[in-house]
Amino acid sequence: MGTDGRALRRFLRNPSAWLGLLVMAAVLLMAATAGLFYPGDPQGMVAKPYLWPGQDPAFPLGTDNLGRDVTAGVFHGARVSLWIGVVSAAICLTIGTLVGAIGGYFGGWTDDLLTRLTEAVQTMPSFLFLIVLVAIFQPTLATITLGIGLVSWPTVARLVRAEFRRLRGQDFVLAARSLGFPHWRIIFQEILPNALPPLIVTTSVIVASAILTESALAFLGLGDPNVLSWGMMIGNGRAVIRTAWYLSAVPGALIVLTVLAVNLLGEALNDAANPRLGN
Amino acid sequence: MVLRMPSLSRRAFGAFGAAAGSALLLPRSLRAQEEPVRGGTLRFLVDPEPTGLVPLSDTTGANVMLSCKITEGLYGYNLDFSLRPQLALSHTLSPDGKELTFKLREGVKWHDGQPFTSADVAFSLMTLKTSHPRGRATYANLEEVQTSDAHTVVLKMKAPAPYLLNALAGQESPIVPKHIYDGSDIATNPHNHAPIGTGPFKFKEWQRGSHMIFERNEEYWDAGKPYLDRIIVRFIPDAAARSIAFETGEVDVGGDYPIPYSDLERLSQVPTLGIETRGYGYGPNISAIEFNLDNPYFAKPEVRQAVAHAVNKEILLQNVYYGFGEVATGPIHQAHTQFYTPDVHQYEFDPERANQLLDQAGLPRNGDGVRFAVSHDPLPIGNQHIQSGEYIRQALAQVGIQVTLRNQDMATYIKRVYADRDFDFVNNTMTNSPDPTLGVQRFYWSKNFKPGVPFSNGSHYSNPEVDRLLEAAQIEQDPAKRVQLFHDFQKIVAVDIPTLNTIAIQTFTIHSVNLKNHTLTADGIHANLAEAYLVS
Amino acid sequence: MSLRLLPVFVRALVRSLPTVAIIVVFNFFLLNMAPGDAADVLAAESGAATAETMAATRARLGLDLPLLDQFLNYVSGLLRLDLGFSAKFGVPVLEVILDRLPNTLLLMVTALVFALLVGILAGFLMALRAGSLLDRAISVVALFFYSIPSFWGALMLIVIFSVQLGWLPSSGYQTIGFEGSGLELALDMARYLVLPALSLSLFFIAIYARLTRASMLEVYGQDYVRTAVAKGLPPGRIALRHVLRNALVPVTTVAGIHFGILLGGAIVTETVFAWPGLGSLAFQAVFARDFAVLLGILLLSSVLVIAINIATDLLHAWLDPRVEVS
Repeated sequence: MGTDGRALRRFLRNPSAWLGLLVMAAVLLMAATAGLFYPGDPQGMVAKPYLWPGQDPAFPLGTDNLGRDVTAGVFHGARVSLWIGVVSAAICLTIGTLVGAIGGYFGGWTDDLLTRLTEAVQTMPSFLFLIVLVAIFQPTLATITLGIGLVSWPTVARLVRAEFRRLRGQDFVLAARSLGFPHWRIIFQEILPNALPPLIVTTSVIVASAILTESALAFLGLGDPNVLSWGMMIGNGRAVIRTAWYLSAVPGALIVLTVLAVNLLGEALNDAANPRLGN
Repeated sequence: MVLRMPSLSRRAFGAFGAAAGSALLLPRSLRAQEEPVRGGTLRFLVDPEPTGLVPLSDTTGANVMLSCKITEGLYGYNLDFSLRPQLALSHTLSPDGKELTFKLREGVKWHDGQPFTSADVAFSLMTLKTSHPRGRATYANLEEVQTSDAHTVVLKMKAPAPYLLNALAGQESPIVPKHIYDGSDIATNPHNHAPIGTGPFKFKEWQRGSHMIFERNEEYWDAGKPYLDRIIVRFIPDAAARSIAFETGEVDVGGDYPIPYSDLERLSQVPTLGIETRGYGYGPNISAIEFNLDNPYFAKPEVRQAVAHAVNKEILLQNVYYGFGEVATGPIHQAHTQFYTPDVHQYEFDPERANQLLDQAGLPRNGDGVRFAVSHDPLPIGNQHIQSGEYIRQALAQVGIQVTLRNQDMATYIKRVYADRDFDFVNNTMTNSPDPTLGVQRFYWSKNFKPGVPFSNGSHYSNPEVDRLLEAAQIEQDPAKRVQLFHDFQKIVAVDIPTLNTIAIQTFTIHSVNLKNHTLTADGIHANLAEAYLVS
Repeated sequence: MSLRLLPVFVRALVRSLPTVAIIVVFNFFLLNMAPGDAADVLAAESGAATAETMAATRARLGLDLPLLDQFLNYVSGLLRLDLGFSAKFGVPVLEVILDRLPNTLLLMVTALVFALLVGILAGFLMALRAGSLLDRAISVVALFFYSIPSFWGALMLIVIFSVQLGWLPSSGYQTIGFEGSGLELALDMARYLVLPALSLSLFFIAIYARLTRASMLEVYGQDYVRTAVAKGLPPGRIALRHVLRNALVPVTTVAGIHFGILLGGAIVTETVFAWPGLGSLAFQAVFARDFAVLLGILLLSSVLVIAINIATDLLHAWLDPRVEVS
């Protein structure tokens, strides 16, 4: 469709998009180069505890109470936090898309059943539900990521279902049906691509909130102590939030910047896709 | 384990002050005696919210901390551990140690106006024997309590119980009204949440999740006391918020390290606050690494010794406990002066020696430099255990032991370690209790290996000689001989290290400088606060 | 209008029954998969136990029964409107929940109303000046607050307003033992409410602002608004009367969903500010394995979400007469 080029141009004219892209690129670079600049265990005790940022040039962001290098921590933490954001969003999208697509496409009792399921999950307070899951199955990187995906899919399911109900009566779908295409092909190759734009915007929100959610879990003591995420670093630093505040402020600022960047990108995509809502 | 359990025998805290090397330990309350002031409301911080207010069957930490304001015991214990008459005035012990007679205070009334008599004491002690988690051990030898008159009770025992006189504080052996509890299910009696006692304060209200209010008992037996009009108890779940509440003066006092160790230095600079380290002799805590001796690696003495050589206790003390305590040498806390001995074997910090021992044990490093991999479970209380775990992981990585930390909540931890025994080694805090027989024996006595029971012999340590010493100390009447038995016990355990004791922790109270007389006894602010007062 | 809505009401209630049933069954068995039970936690917090005291606690709490019997007991209790007994507090669950419910509602309503007011105002301004520097500036600021981890924001508010400035209390919901009443009491409680409500609302302001902006721009594109513009009605009047009013439909829908979810979800805020609400209660119940309380809260919040869905339908009928009641 010819509107794609215009949408891209609109996206690139938006300063928010550039800001978001720039920050994301920097964070991705940190994650990519963590192993290069800081090979070895980021949780190794390498220096005196509580070195302030700038106090020792070898440790530009200082060290924590066990003498672990904060700079190494935030580089490796970028990997973990992004991993949590992306993987849990992928889980959430997979479940949400399947439930929404099947319900929206087939309708009838299938739709009824899936809608009821979606509603049931949605009426449960999601963060509380997540805490229950993580507490029961123990806080590890895997359970935290999976848990975030499992509690946040209803939003996606509702969105996809609505799109599918809108699209399933349209000409190109009817044409595909009359050609005898199998259901899965109509769902995934015909309808889903057309439902993607709003889904992409929602994805950015999900990635962002997954990163925030992980940090809140770590704050409540439900982090995985074997991997260093930004959330874990804040969790560790919170006991000294008044004295060595840089320990939680540095990863905290990175979370704010990353989440902000992801959201700015999402908003710019949204504006680009729906021009009448923008300028 | 952990929280707040009592213990007798406490030396002056001076050595701790020196160990911590910081002026912040100087008690500001040691000033010239002033005239007590009547009136005022004390705002008392506890965390977590208690589950009840009478420690009969439920001895959770906050419950034990608060109950004495309302419910008293037979004796209190001065800072030097001399007895302090409370509901009992005096006692006599028969020469064979099997008959203990108490003279009770007369003219005492329960908060509902009923008179306090020997029947209440007899009922309470027999109830403790059946319902209290530690009472079963404390009163194991108690057969019967006779009430020869309204103010005399005679405890008849089948064998001597030399530790019993150490367990009579209200927080450990509360005396409750028979007319309220008799015939009811002790654990579910509604008065556990709205207690009726003989203490200086009366229970007024409990707004769950927010606060409690205790009012002055106008008819308290110690005329003129208490000085305070009211105690408001607040619950603040977040550690940083607790520090701030002290800083802004929203609460006046809190005990049992109410804030993280890391915030102490800063709060000690706040001119309106004082930090008190006395008043914890009744229950000093030892932090320890407990091995599962059923694990094939840790079953080998060389491996445990290697861990002992690889872990620098001084780093744990300085970086996790911020200097609040001393390096532990064995199973008995330094604060238990009458039982403690430093004259035991020590495995000094020496990673090279650790590597040699592991080589000798037939555990060479593989291509990645790893000898073997184990999991480590830190006790899920506070952040000190997980921080200790992080240090232990890094320290053991140096000698080729790969450690994975497991984070979990308390219920999971208890089930894993004590019921399922699905663990390799843990780090936790063990409380020494009023007497080693009550507080230390349980971790090392082979007959207390009881899967499913929290804070039993979790390492599955079994040494016939240790069993013999502990069992002899249970009934030894001669104090000097009893001390010798415990010294011998410490020497063996320090060599065997089924549990590597790391830090003898110094617990502390934070208080407003306006609060006076808050720590007069060995159990500090766990006591009844009848003499505490506020100046403006 | 009420007659027109009655069948909707009944249908919604009937429709919600299976949802509630799913929640009860699913949560009961999910929670019982957790390792350890309330007796373990009570023993752990007591610092000592014997096999006998553990067994006594389990028998008292009914934890020694087979799981299916426990479930049947729970369900038969529910049918009698009995939510069970709290293992941690030793009192009926309903009492524990009702103690906290007013505090939670106060915090939620205040935070959401504040977030709605500020969010709608911001969204309104952004929509009027869509594409301008003002639009982008407000958007970035709102997103910034949205991106701050809630606990961090809460602690910083405390440090600034309680510690540095000393203006507001850092924790609690009122001065304990406060003697005043009426206006005095309301003012006292308001001082405690400001920081937690503000901290909670920061997250939602951005959502409402963006929603208001988007739906206003959408309404601007519709025929009747174009007609109004063509007729030369004053722009301010169009914006307020025609556009904003209709644009509020999606905003209030989302706010309704948030309200229901927040009931058990303000865990972090309630924990940091020691606010005695349902969120911190639920959080503690997880760790205490106090499942009767937890199930009670989950049940209550799902019932509330359903009630709110019905309420928002009514609100929409009022905001936009064109909304059909289906």
